[in-house]
Order: sequence, then structure tokens, then C-alpha cells
Amino acid sequence: MTIGTVYTGFGFWNVYAWMMFFALGALIVLCIRSTGRSDYEKGTYQDEVFYGGNPVPQNGQDLAVPASSSYWGFTKAIASFYNLLVGVHTGILSDYMGLLIATAAVISILILL
Amino acid sequence: MSWQVHLPALILTIPLLGAFVSIALTKPRLRNLWFTFILAVTTVLAFLLWRRVGIYGTLIYVMGGQSWNFTLPSGMSLPIRIIMEVDAFGAFMVLTGSISALASGLFSIRFLDRVHDGNKFVSLFLLLLTAMLGLEVTGDLFNFFVFLEIASVASYGLIAFWRDTPEAIEASFKYTVLSTFVALLFLIGVGILYGVYGTLNMAALAKNIQVGFLEKVALVLFITSMAMKCGAVPLHMWEPDAYGQAPAGIPCFLVVVGQASLYGMFRIAFSIYGQAFHGSILAWIVVVFGLLSMFIGVVMAVIQKEAKRLMAYHCISQTGYMLMGIGLGLLALSSPQAMSEFGFTAMKGGIFHIINNAMYKGLLFLTAGSLFYATGTTDLNKLGGLSRNMPYTTIMFAVAAAAIAGLPPFNGFVSKLLIYESSFVVHPFLAVVAMVTSILTLASFVKVFQSGFLGPSRENMTNVREVPLSMIIGMSVLCLMILTLSLMPNWVLSNLIEPAARDLVNQASYIQAVMGSGLQ
Repeated sequence: MTIGTVYTGFGFWNVYAWMMFFALGALIVLCIRSTGRSDYEKGTYQDEVFYGGNPVPQNGQDLAVPASSSYWGFTKAIASFYNLLVGVHTGILSDYMGLLIATAAVISILILL
Repeated sequence: MSWQVHLPALILTIPLLGAFVSIALTKPRLRNLWFTFILAVTTVLAFLLWRRVGIYGTLIYVMGGQSWNFTLPSGMSLPIRIIMEVDAFGAFMVLTGSISALASGLFSIRFLDRVHDGNKFVSLFLLLLTAMLGLEVTGDLFNFFVFLEIASVASYGLIAFWRDTPEAIEASFKYTVLSTFVALLFLIGVGILYGVYGTLNMAALAKNIQVGFLEKVALVLFITSMAMKCGAVPLHMWEPDAYGQAPAGIPCFLVVVGQASLYGMFRIAFSIYGQAFHGSILAWIVVVFGLLSMFIGVVMAVIQKEAKRLMAYHCISQTGYMLMGIGLGLLALSSPQAMSEFGFTAMKGGIFHIINNAMYKGLLFLTAGSLFYATGTTDLNKLGGLSRNMPYTTIMFAVAAAAIAGLPPFNGFVSKLLIYESSFVVHPFLAVVAMVTSILTLASFVKVFQSGFLGPSRENMTNVREVPLSMIIGMSVLCLMILTLSLMPNWVLSNLIEPAARDLVNQASYIQAVMGSGLQ
């Protein structure tokens, strides 16, 4: 057995081989980066944030995308699915009990019949 | 005779002793030392137990007696005593649970400084640990029920520990009602089997069971109750409430307590019913539970804005992988060809995912606890730019998030790979759902990372500091475990996972270990 190799029955995975390839990839990236411009100076205009040409807000809160806005497009695209799903999660205990009874009933039908 | 023959009893009595003594320890320093000592000793005992099972095979321990049976004048012999039966699967669960409990306990110590009744917290924590370990070592269905109840009662107290918060009381109340109801279902199932077979010993039941109408009714009750306790969709709704409201270190521990219920489901399905239950319907029920849990859990997680609730939905989603992996093993149980084609690989994936989830999900909950400790909130809309203030927490969150998303080379990738490949053989749809779930998992943790740790600092977060050392040590235990599982996957599979999967599949050896020549 090779060290770090997992045989899945369909193929294999070796963590050390992956890490070597990752290191090789990182080395290539660093080589490419080293060919870039070397006139960067910290603390000059080069450090300034480009905010679409607008003045940069002083408070980070005004600059960051809030978590509730993340993946807005994804949730909007399947809004009807989300409406259904969130609607089921009522937070009401009697609904939880109802789901429990319904699930038990379905399992009963499947196993007993 | 080595003292280690008593390990199955010691693994329960040490934390139980710890729970009762800690009530009397009112001095915080002494209480914290005692808490750490008991957790460390329990973890060492769990390791020794796992090692002993590896050397000697399934361990049997009879409480208060030399032999398991009681012989009637007629010559009939019945297994009536309290019997612990620890095979490789049980030992694996005990080890996993103990490590998580250690990390969770170490993390919780500094939180105890903020409450005046920390000894009650410690007592409930150790009682929950006893119950969880009891679920995993008992060889008796009624004792399983007893430990289930102890675990539930301790959980009610821990979830509602911030009793000044109405949400915590509400979450605990919901869990109490649901738990009590399913415990009753479980007890009725136990009663049915006892009525039919006159025994509660799992091995004796497994040897004698002939699946008829009553046995099927009992099975429905067992599966329903265990599915609710482990948080399988659609019985999962208590979980985000409970995990979201429990004190910071507790959700990490509740993850492995939930897995003990999963263990119960698999023990009943494989070791008691096993091949006596003809047909594949039970396996498909487990697989469908898995599919629903994976997908619904992660889809709900994507839209959460509160870190602990988001992680709780992910916990449901990860439970789905375990259900699907081991469910596919159940599907292949009656066919040696199917078992060698995909069943055993799926089971290895499912069982590997149990320890992986315990470690990375536990660590994620602890990082959420760190955020709460340092900032007073886990609302992602209010957080931002914390990587500068909390570098250790940030690194550990990144490791755990990469692992849960199944990014190579982390441990989550290996268990998911085994599940993808084996489920693809059964039907490509199963593998597709598993992969889509993984992608959405990555997406939602990118969101947490971006919202909580990256971006510009917020004005109200400038004074935030890294959490105390004991909390970092608690997180480091799990982080180290993740790295070990990631870098030594074949050792873990050979020594931890494969023996557990083999023992779970091998119903005959489970029966033989207790019954020997058989029930007369």
C-alpha cells in the first residue's frame, strides 16, 4: 500500500501526490508573479481602494456586502422553492409534531404494507 | 486479570462520578480542574477501549455478574443481566464522541467564568457524556432507552442554560416535547419486542427475531424516533433552534450526541433486524432520509444570516451523507456481490463521515462560539473584518470550512469521494445530489468567511480581541484531528473505519459474541 493512498474501489486518491501537485502549481504561480512590475510602493496612491470611481466610505460597514444579501441572484431565481421551504419551517411546535406523525405514517405504510 | 476488562464499565462510571461530584464543587478553579481531569481520563479510557477492541475483538461486560445468562430449573437460559457489548463500530463511536467532548469541554471552561452556577453546567455536561457513551456501549435495548432519556434530560438543561433568554427556553421546550414523544415511541417498540421474545438483549433478539407484523411495527417506531433524534429531514426542525440557543461550546458536543442516535438506528437496522428483514424498503427509507437531509439542510443553510443556525442546518445536511452512505450499505446487505461492488465502500464513506463531521462541524461550532465570546453576536450582518483581530480563530475556521466543503486535501474530501463513487453505481442521481450539496456547502461557508472574517473592519469591532488560550486549545484539539485525518486517510480507513464497517455488517459475530453457543 502506498503511503497516503486511498483505494475507493473505482480509483484512488493520494493526499501527498495532491499536495506535491499543489506545491508545483503554487511555484508556477509565484514564478509568473515574479515577472510582474516591481515598482509597487506601500503607502502611496497605489494602496488606495478603487471603489468604482466613487469616494470610499470611511466605515467598513458601508462598504461590505451584508450576509443577508449574499447569493441574492441564486435565491431570487428559485424564490418560489424558497417560499415553500421557508413556509414549512414555521417554528411552531404543533407543526413539528404534525410532520413527525406524518413521517411516521409514511414509514408505516412503506414498511407494513 | 487486567483492569482493562472493566473498561466498558469505567467509561460510564468515570463521567458519571464526575457529574455527581461536580455539583458539590463550588470553587470555580477546583471545578474547572475536575472537569478537565474527568474529560481527559474519559478520552484516555475511550482510546484504551478502542485499542482493546482492536486486539481482542468485541468486548462483553456483564454488570454485577460473571456470566450473561440466568438458567432456569428447566434448563432454559436467558440473557437478563445488564450487558455492555462493544464492537469496533461502538468503540469507534466512543472514541469520536470522547474527543469531541474533550474539545467542547475545554472550550467551555472560560464561558463558565461568566455564569454563577457553572457547577450545574459541568454536571449536566458530564451526565450527557455518560449517556452518549452509554448509548454506544450498551448491548440491551431497554438500557439504550434509559441512556436516551438521560441524554435528553441533560440536553434540555444545557439548551436552556441561558434561562434568561426566552428563545433558549422556547428551543428547549420544543426539543423536550419532541424528544419525550419519540422516546415514548421507542419505548413502545422495546415493549413490543419484549412481549414477543421475552428478552431485551440485542444479540438475543437478533438471534431469534422473525420479522412479522409486530416486529415491523417496532421497526417503524425505532426508525422514526432515531431519525428525529439525529435530525433527519423532515424531523429536523428542532435542531437549528436548539443548536442556535445552546451555550457556545455545547452545539459541538450535541453533534456527537446526535450521532449516537444515528448509531442506534444503524445498530437496530444492521445488528438486530439485519437480514431477517427481507427486501430493500428499509434501506431506501434511510437513503431517502439521507437525500432529503443533505439537500434541504444545505439549501436552508445558504439563506441563514445567523452563524450558529447556519451551521445547525449544515449539521442536518452532513447527517444526510452518513445516512446515505450507510443506507447504501444496508441496501447491499443481502447481496455479497452488491456489498463488494458498492455497499462496503459506501459504508466506509458513511462511517468515515461520522468522525469527519464530528471534528469539522464541532470546530465550526466552536469558532462560532469564539465569535460570540469576542463580539457578543453571531449575526453575520453585524460582523466583518475579524481576521485581523482573531487570527487563530480565522485559521481554524478556514480549515474546518474547507474540510466540510470537501475541498482536497482535507478529510471531508475522502469520505465524500467514497460516497460519490459508491452511490453513482446505485444511481447517478444520488451522486449528483451529494455533489450539488457539497458545492452549496462551500458557497455558504464562503459567505460566512466573507461576512465574518474578511472585508473592512467595522467601527464597533475595532476593540475585539482573540479568545483566551483555553478556548484556542479546545479548538486546536479538533483542528489537529482534522489535519491528522486529512494526512493519514489510509491509516484511518484501515484501523478505524474498516473494522467498524466490518463489525456493523457482520450480524453473526455480534450475536456470537454474547450468545456463544446460542440461546437454549
